[in-house]
Parts: sequence; C-alpha cells; structure tokens
Amino acid sequence: MTERPTEALIESLAAEARPVRPLAPPLMRAARLLLVLAASFAALIAAFGVPGALAARFEGRELFMAAETAAMVATGVLAVLGAFALSVPGGSRKWLTAAGAALLAWLLLSGVGCYALVAQLGSDGWKLNGHGDCLLFIVAAGAVVGAPLLWLLSKARPIDPAPVALLGGLGAAALAAFLLTFFHPFAITVVDLGLHLAAVSIVIGGAALLRRRALRPA
Amino acid sequence: MAGEPDSRGESGIPGGWEGLLAAAQKGDADAYRRFLLVILPFVRTVARRYLRSDDAVEDVVQDTLLTLHRVRHTYQPGRPVKPWLAAIATRRAIDAGRRRGRIRSREVSDPAAYETFADPAANKEESAQAAESVSRMMAELSPKQKEALELIKLKEFSLAEASAASGQSVGSLKVNVHRAIQRLRRRNAEQGEP
Repeated sequence: MTERPTEALIESLAAEARPVRPLAPPLMRAARLLLVLAASFAALIAAFGVPGALAARFEGRELFMAAETAAMVATGVLAVLGAFALSVPGGSRKWLTAAGAALLAWLLLSGVGCYALVAQLGSDGWKLNGHGDCLLFIVAAGAVVGAPLLWLLSKARPIDPAPVALLGGLGAAALAAFLLTFFHPFAITVVDLGLHLAAVSIVIGGAALLRRRALRPA
Repeated sequence: MAGEPDSRGESGIPGGWEGLLAAAQKGDADAYRRFLLVILPFVRTVARRYLRSDDAVEDVVQDTLLTLHRVRHTYQPGRPVKPWLAAIATRRAIDAGRRRGRIRSREVSDPAAYETFADPAANKEESAQAAESVSRMMAELSPKQKEALELIKLKEFSLAEASAASGQSVGSLKVNVHRAIQRLRRRNAEQGEP
C-alpha cells in the first residue's frame, strides 16, 4: 500500500518525538533578561558612570527630560517584551504598535527638546556636544545588549524573524541610549540627536541583517 | 516534570489537543502521531484561506507540520493549542503565497518551449527537412562510397562484416568511408553558406 506523503511525514515526525523542555512564558523570559540588564547597568554606572551626568542633562527642564527619559526606557522595555512575545507562534503584533508608539514619543520629545535648546542657545544649539563618541557608545552598548538578547530569542526559533529582529534591535538600541545618559553629561543638541538616531538605526539594521543567522528561524 | 520522557504511551490522554501536545512534548510518540493526524483538517482549513489549489494547500500542511515539529517546545502546556497552531499555519501559508508570487513575477511559463526543444517528436518539421537534406547528399555519393558508409556508420558493421557483405576489401572500405564523409562535409558546408 502506498502511503500519502502527509501521512508518511507524520509517521517520520512521530518517530522523532523526543522529549523537549517547554520554554518558559515569553514575558517571564523577557522580564528575567531585563532584570539582569538592570543589575548590569547599575553596576556599570556605579563603577564607571560620570557623576552628575543625568543632573546636567536634566538641568533647568527636569519634567521634560524625565518624560523623554521615560519614553526612552519605555521604548527599550516594550521592544524587548515585544521581541520575546513575537518570537513564539501566536504572539500579539500589538507589541509592535506599543513599542512604535513609545519610540514616536521618544523621538518627539527629543526633537522638541532640541528645538528648545536651539531657541535658548541660538546657533550653539546646533553644535556637536558629545564629540561623536555617543554614536560609538550606543552601537557598542547596543551590540553588548543585543547579543544575549538575540541568543535568547533564537531559542524560540521564530517563525517570522523580521519583527522579532526589528524589536530586538530597537530594544537593545534604546536601552543603550538610556545607559548613555549616565555617561554623557550634556544636553543633546540637534546634531547629537541625529547621531543618536543614526546609532539606533545601525543597531536595528545590524539585528535585521543578522536575523536569519542569529535567530535560527524555523 | 516537564521535559521527562513519558514511557506509558497512554492512549486515552485527557485534555484534547492540549493534552496530546503536552504528552508529545514529553516524548510520547503515539500521542504526537494522534495529535498531528487530528489537527490536519484544521491546518488545511487555515491554508485554504490563503491558497486555492489542493497541491499548494497540501504543501502548506506539510510545511506547517515540519515547522510545528521544530517549535513544539514553544507551546505552553495548559494553554489553548489553536491560536498557537493557527499562527504557524497562517505564517506558512503567507510564506507560500509570497513564494508563488515571486516565482510568477520572475519566471515565464512557455509550454511551447517543451514541445519545440525537449521533445524530439515535436520537432517533426525540422527532422523531416534534415532527413531530406541527408538523403539528397547521400545520392551524390558513388555507389561504393554510399554502400561503405551505410554498412560501417549507419548499420555499425565491423570492417570484416562489411567486407563480407559488400565484397569490398577492408582497405577499400576505409578509403570509401573516408571519402564519403569528406564529400558530405564539403556539401554540408556549401549548403550552410549564405
């Protein structure tokens, strides 16, 4: 008797039914990683952070900068949570919207902040404050955060790797930008913001390029 | 404990699809086989929302089963299977649809190509013209040259057999075959010139 191909496939898959350990719920895995990152960031800031960097950035516009920083952190956290949620089948694509909304708020608040700085300082508001090293910092820190993130995401063998890589890259870049605020004691100018955006784009682009190799999609 | 093999291989696993898949995660091959069989109609229904032909639907079903096998560790025991399974089948159906779209946009279907070049029977006109040309050229050979060529090259006789059949000596056969081929080549070259 000739078996139909689908039934034959089922037989061969059943023959390979070795035990597998179910992954923990994606949000729990994301929360664990965020906790480890938070502890690592705290240790790094305590050891190498520039004292008063955050205060220098916040000076004279505390509420506004708090909102901008909150949007930055929200972007990073929501993007990491979303990347884990979408790495398993059935994850809600609303995470893309949530992280996108936080990113939009971060960009708008940064843009408004830069505009206010230009209005306050005149042409000085266009100068490069951070000597360009912020780009290198965000890319390097983004890579350091992104590597374990992609590795953990790859354990789920995402069936659609593109949004997972996008959110993973965005999360790593946003968290790296947050870390930068403790090492970068300047109010960011328009040029600084441009460099930050370029760095975030590089990290996201890197994650997107690596998605097939790093995420081992099923 | 999750991850430990279930050696019982029990057949009456409670909990429907969820129970079967949870047992499959523990290594129960029978539960896994039953699970894969029982989900087939559901997976086919999902695939048919995106694809029309039965062959394409069956391809997606098989692709979905293979993907499910690779990501079965991502199912959370106790949670509903259908949303998880529908997500896999939907993704594979969308991928298949995109793949078909790409193939259609890059490749051209030309049924005549197969008939004209691959199937010799389809080249009747060209074959008839070639046969007519060869027989015309053969007619221009001397009778001995023509006989030597037919026996040695077409009927693939050995020189001894051809000699016995024609009465020509072996040396004479060699010379006549050589001259016949030379003459045919020249004639063919003349015909090929504009």
